[in-house]
Amino acid sequence: MKTKILSFFITCLVAFGVQAQIDRSVQPEPGPAPKINLEEPETFDLDNGMKVMVVENHKLPVVTARLVIDNKPHSEAKPGTAALLSAMLGTGTEKISKDDYIEEIDFMGASVSFGSESAYANSLSKFFPRVFELMAKGALNPKFTQEEFESQKSQLIEGLKFSEKDVSSIASRMSNVLAFGKNHPYGEFATPESVESISLQDVISYYQTYFAPENAYLVVVGDIDDDKVKDLVEDHFEDWKKATPPVADLPAINPVKNTQINFVDMPNADQSELRVQNTIDIKMSDEDYFPLLIANQILGGSFGSYLNMNLREKHGFTYGARTSFDTDKYGASNFVASTSVRNAVTDSAIVETIKEIRRIRSEKVTEKDLELAKSKFTGNFVMALERPSTIAQYALNIETQNLDDDFYENYLQKIEGVTAEEVMRVAKKYFNADQMRIIVVGKGAEVVENLESLKLQGKSVPVNYFDKLGNSVKKPVFNKPIPAGVTVQSVYDAYIKAIGGKEAAQKVNSVIMTGTANFQGRNFDVVMKQTKDGKFLNELTMQGMVLNKSVFNGETGYNSVQGQKMDFTAEEIAEAKKEAGIFPELKPDVDSKLTGIETVNGEEAYVISSSDGKTKNFYSVTSGLKLQTLTIVEQMGQTVNSTTGYSNYKTVNGIQYPHTRILSPPGLEITINTIQVNEGITDADFQ
Amino acid sequence: MIKKFSLTALSCLLFGTGFSQEVEFTKYELDNGLDVILHQDNSAPVVTVGVMYHVGAKDEEEGRSGFAHFFEHLLFEGTENIERGEWFNIVGAQGGSNNANTTQDRTYYYETFPSNSLKLGLWMEAERMLHPVINQIGVDTQNEVVKEEKRLRVDNQPYGQLIFGMGEFMFKKHPYRTSVIGTMADLDAAKLDEFKDFFKKYYGPNNAVLVVAGDIDISETKKLIEDYYGDIPRGSKVEPVNIKEDPIKKAMVDTTYDDNIQIPLISLVYRTPGMKEKDSYVLNMISTILTEGKSSRMYKKMVDDEKEALQVLAFNNSMEDYGMYVIGALPMGDTPLNTLAESMDEEIKKLQTELISEKEFQKLQNIYMNRFVNSNSTVQGIASSLATYHMLYGDANLINKEIEIYQNITREDIKRVASEYLNDNQRLKLYYLPASEKPEGDAENQSQKQ
Repeated sequence: MKTKILSFFITCLVAFGVQAQIDRSVQPEPGPAPKINLEEPETFDLDNGMKVMVVENHKLPVVTARLVIDNKPHSEAKPGTAALLSAMLGTGTEKISKDDYIEEIDFMGASVSFGSESAYANSLSKFFPRVFELMAKGALNPKFTQEEFESQKSQLIEGLKFSEKDVSSIASRMSNVLAFGKNHPYGEFATPESVESISLQDVISYYQTYFAPENAYLVVVGDIDDDKVKDLVEDHFEDWKKATPPVADLPAINPVKNTQINFVDMPNADQSELRVQNTIDIKMSDEDYFPLLIANQILGGSFGSYLNMNLREKHGFTYGARTSFDTDKYGASNFVASTSVRNAVTDSAIVETIKEIRRIRSEKVTEKDLELAKSKFTGNFVMALERPSTIAQYALNIETQNLDDDFYENYLQKIEGVTAEEVMRVAKKYFNADQMRIIVVGKGAEVVENLESLKLQGKSVPVNYFDKLGNSVKKPVFNKPIPAGVTVQSVYDAYIKAIGGKEAAQKVNSVIMTGTANFQGRNFDVVMKQTKDGKFLNELTMQGMVLNKSVFNGETGYNSVQGQKMDFTAEEIAEAKKEAGIFPELKPDVDSKLTGIETVNGEEAYVISSSDGKTKNFYSVTSGLKLQTLTIVEQMGQTVNSTTGYSNYKTVNGIQYPHTRILSPPGLEITINTIQVNEGITDADFQ
Repeated sequence: MIKKFSLTALSCLLFGTGFSQEVEFTKYELDNGLDVILHQDNSAPVVTVGVMYHVGAKDEEEGRSGFAHFFEHLLFEGTENIERGEWFNIVGAQGGSNNANTTQDRTYYYETFPSNSLKLGLWMEAERMLHPVINQIGVDTQNEVVKEEKRLRVDNQPYGQLIFGMGEFMFKKHPYRTSVIGTMADLDAAKLDEFKDFFKKYYGPNNAVLVVAGDIDISETKKLIEDYYGDIPRGSKVEPVNIKEDPIKKAMVDTTYDDNIQIPLISLVYRTPGMKEKDSYVLNMISTILTEGKSSRMYKKMVDDEKEALQVLAFNNSMEDYGMYVIGALPMGDTPLNTLAESMDEEIKKLQTELISEKEFQKLQNIYMNRFVNSNSTVQGIASSLATYHMLYGDANLINKEIEIYQNITREDIKRVASEYLNDNQRLKLYYLPASEKPEGDAENQSQKQ
């Protein structure tokens, strides 16, 4: 009894001492769980079917209104129609011109925007009544003019170009196209052609059919009284005419029977975009929803998940890897593992991803991982309540996702109740490790060979090829094996022989080539001088004015761009020396490597790569002639491929010289008009 | 050294308007030089613990671009009491979230938790400040991860090089010339000992500010902070970068290529004053005039009326010592890039020669009030703002007073600043073109690389 009192006394001393000693080696335990407060929004309905929800919150003097029309998903006859409608909404009303409409909203510092079946407004509370009115008028009394239609249409077409070279955009498109099919509302996508075919009438019909109050919800959150909202809504939405949008069956979804790889070639890719996926049928109202949340969280839902710890922390393949699934009340959802990895490890990343998916199906998750995942949802749930919009979103979900009224009241309890057995059960049911679509969008020349030899569970995996639009195509040619007996030396010999033979080539001591170039309507003059012992001068002039000059005297050199002279760096000198001479191929070369056969403008060519990999020369397999030089240069922190193409070979003094050179970028074509051999050159040229 | 700002909060109560957006905070300094800022808001059970260190990419040694950001990654590897790989699990186990970010000027680490884990957050950041484990395994792993981040965010990203590449044109001496992400070669060159030295040099408490915001009790939090941070030894004094650039007097023109794009872009880039200067705020307003909202000048004219641009942009990339001001446009269809440049020049000329109208001026004030009100809507955002205003602007109370700076900008200021900084001979004209296709714009003076 006495010791107990004493120890209590000591505890008090320690806890309230001036400089309490803390034990840093012990991780602090959390305090008692904070109380959460789940408010309910005020709700009311209009006669036309629209439901209204209001969450009052006066912390900040702002109000947000969101109109959501929860129609059943429907295919667009001409994909892009919905996008055009959303772009045309907000460009004026029957009574307010476009300029006045936009000017007034901007003047109030407010924002108002529209989707094809939604609208949004946000403003300071003092401006809200007018901003809300403008949103309502923009949504319900829009004016569609032919002029605006044409303008938005050309912007949309131009905008589609935007993502055409973006590897991750193409991967997302492929993910949906392959999961749901091009005719499914979730798989369809707009193309310049589909947008071109849309008429103004198509947009108006879409609006008249689907912009209806039957399935509409209006959610207002912020610094405003519900009575005031009621007045505003009655003033501006009561006249919205009752209408019921049509409901059509959705196309069937075709899961794959065996795992397959679907590849899209994008030669500009520095990383491969990976999607490993299968379609699922899961609704928020399903019993499996909570266990699946936890299973996904442990597999790939967070930084510390199986997938990220493997791909990022263990292997350093990627900046991040995650899995996710969506829910859909119509049964069309997708489970996806996604990541971007450098080209060389694309196949390994697939193997490791599948391994982790198998792991969660076959190994019971540890108590620790389970608790961790649950805590994450509990924490997120608690923290989300900081935003007043959360309460509104919950209420909206209960309505639109057909949830029980007490879904969110029971949320934490449901999360807490998930067991390790349930996690394994749903992992087996929803993560179909043997029936997955693996989508790779990347650089075929560097990744396809490995993909084709990839084995999962000891079995090779079929590789299908697609274009960027999701059309099945034949396997493109990326690179071919080198025939036996071909070496760097044999390629050089064939080249020298093709241009006129070793004897003739060795007699060339100097060359002056003069030519012209036309670039975007401007004419340039080009002079290139070279000597056998490695001096050179290249000059680009426009109307006598020197734009660009590089000179090398065998030891030192400089670049001059519009009169600004920059001496060669040590690195540039080394490079100039290496490339020196009119026909460097005459000298034996032990550093370079024959790396493969690739096509240059449809012609097969041997690729000879310098030891540092920064320069590649391409020699025709059939003619032996040099077709192209590719140099990798670091520019503004990024590596850029710069190529010089050689064509139009013509004989001068017994040697064939290319009379056309194309520098790309920028796509500058140089035509050589005269070639002088062994005349007209002095050392002064290279000063 | 305790400052308390409660006057305005009080006046709000008096007027009873419910306009309670004043961010009240307490600021003090520990004996070891650590600045502490506390903000109490008990309306939701959420707390953010953040530490900002006054070190960024501009403090890197020559040939070590990307080092500060690389180092930020290393500080998640573990500490003497937190095992490697456990950092994220510990945060996750309490339902929290965390992250960090590096700019040219500072590095910021934070955790946001349900408020019953305040102590945990304080412990973790103290672990990081006192004794992180910096070893070869971490360096090797994070080297790969950072390189993947660069590929993801810069190399494989359409227009990814635009922002990262401008520095080398705008700065000849100042370290702002290299990018935060760095180059692959520099990332590979960094050695373990350099990371250890970097920690010693820059990560002392005297070079940091600790911010705790959210559902806390001030006196209890102060005590915890004393416990966890009070005995962390002071580091050596950090000398801030002090390099002055010569004025740009000659126009620069350059072209760069990006193989991830199809639509070219033309941009005009100017060097502008540091973020603390009033003129930097004026430049923010100029961006708003030019491109914010569909009634903004460049959008209205170039996108809507003339239909020559698909998109227009203007922003002030403001940093501690200098800023980079960027105006740009993407062409619609075959519009030559120089046509866009001419349109942009006309708009700049207009700002330099005519005062903006009273109505446009009032619009700016409304926009900035709206932005100000929305900026402090989460405790995580408040914590980051308090740290930034304190460390880089030298006044944490700007979180409440910045709006006054904007309110005091006059129409004449706008004209003056446009005339002073946005001149033809002080800028880079950058043609940013698709690599694989023949450019659609009219590129002047194409430089030739052979």
